[in-house]
Amino acid sequence: LEDANHELEAFAYSVSHDLRAPIRAIHGFSRILMEEYAPELSGMAQHYLEVVSDNSLQMSLLIDDLLALSRLGRQPLQKQTIQPAELVAAALHDLEPEMALRIHVEVGELPPCEGDPILLKQVFINLLSNSIKYSGRRAEARIEIGSLPVEGGRAAVYFVRDNGVGFEMRHAHKLFGVFQRLHHSAEYPGTGIGLAIVQRILHRHGGRIWAQAEVGQGATFSFTMEPEA
Amino acid sequence: VNQAVDILLVEDNPSDAELTLHVLEGQRLGRRVKVVYDGAEALDLIFCTGAYANRDPHNLPKMLLLDLRLPKVDGLEVVRRAKADARTRAIPIVVFSSSLDDRDLKAARELGARSYVVKPVDFRQFAEAVRGALLLGKAASGKAQQ
Repeated sequence: LEDANHELEAFAYSVSHDLRAPIRAIHGFSRILMEEYAPELSGMAQHYLEVVSDNSLQMSLLIDDLLALSRLGRQPLQKQTIQPAELVAAALHDLEPEMALRIHVEVGELPPCEGDPILLKQVFINLLSNSIKYSGRRAEARIEIGSLPVEGGRAAVYFVRDNGVGFEMRHAHKLFGVFQRLHHSAEYPGTGIGLAIVQRILHRHGGRIWAQAEVGQGATFSFTMEPEA
Repeated sequence: VNQAVDILLVEDNPSDAELTLHVLEGQRLGRRVKVVYDGAEALDLIFCTGAYANRDPHNLPKMLLLDLRLPKVDGLEVVRRAKADARTRAIPIVVFSSSLDDRDLKAARELGARSYVVKPVDFRQFAEAVRGALLLGKAASGKAQQ
């Protein structure tokens, strides 16, 4: 296991350093062309340069995401008793800049559980940020965070529900794949790593996640953060 | 061999070196920049050994701009050796890395590097870091000559 971890670490290091170098050159030199040679370039040439530069930035974001995902697999879990309500509050606080005034957020009862607070906060951040993104254009956007009644000693099922654009259930199997997206990035920006990270964190805790949605009606993500007895 | 050097840029990636030089020139910091491509040559230059054996040991660079990942001798080792020697200890060092996540950045700081810049370079932040270190380096070498 230690060998495997070392290898992963070396891989991540190499990704972050060696893959970034050529991107940096592409982005840096196209920026110089755009900023210092613009008068000599036709409108079309400037546009193509912008495409080159935007794509190099996108590549850089994808690398950051891959690294985040690989780091998740490696760092040991720091488990303790957590109050999910506190994590939700902290996540909502972090997301304030993305939050439109007219999004109504409702937080229901969230029973405590055992887990790594930093990683589980990331679960709520990613799920809530998706909900904000996909419901933000509704005249009355609504996000609900809650849990199902716990039945005799079983792990709690938590959910994050929104009334956003939803998706077709026949694509649901793709939701948690790395860099999989169900919406065009021109319409809803993102690299498609958020839910893959959520799933990886929950799996490491022995939990699971599933989704229910309808186009135009919204989506509900339900999950457990502990092994189900 | 005895050319005066304000900034010693130690960078093995030619594109990165060219970009860095471009930024330095744009900020009017490009005069007297010397580029070397590995840690061994950087050490030779500051300690006047190897190809630089005939260099005047008082003619130190005013600052080092150092990539951490270098051929032959890596950046951390350059920081360690420069800071361990009384002759070169006062030279301010700014280190470069591709990633903020880099553990070596912290290590470089602990060894005495003055500041670090993460690539892709934020041109303005980078220029400020260089300017600050350069001022300090000039003050230090001025004191040494008195």
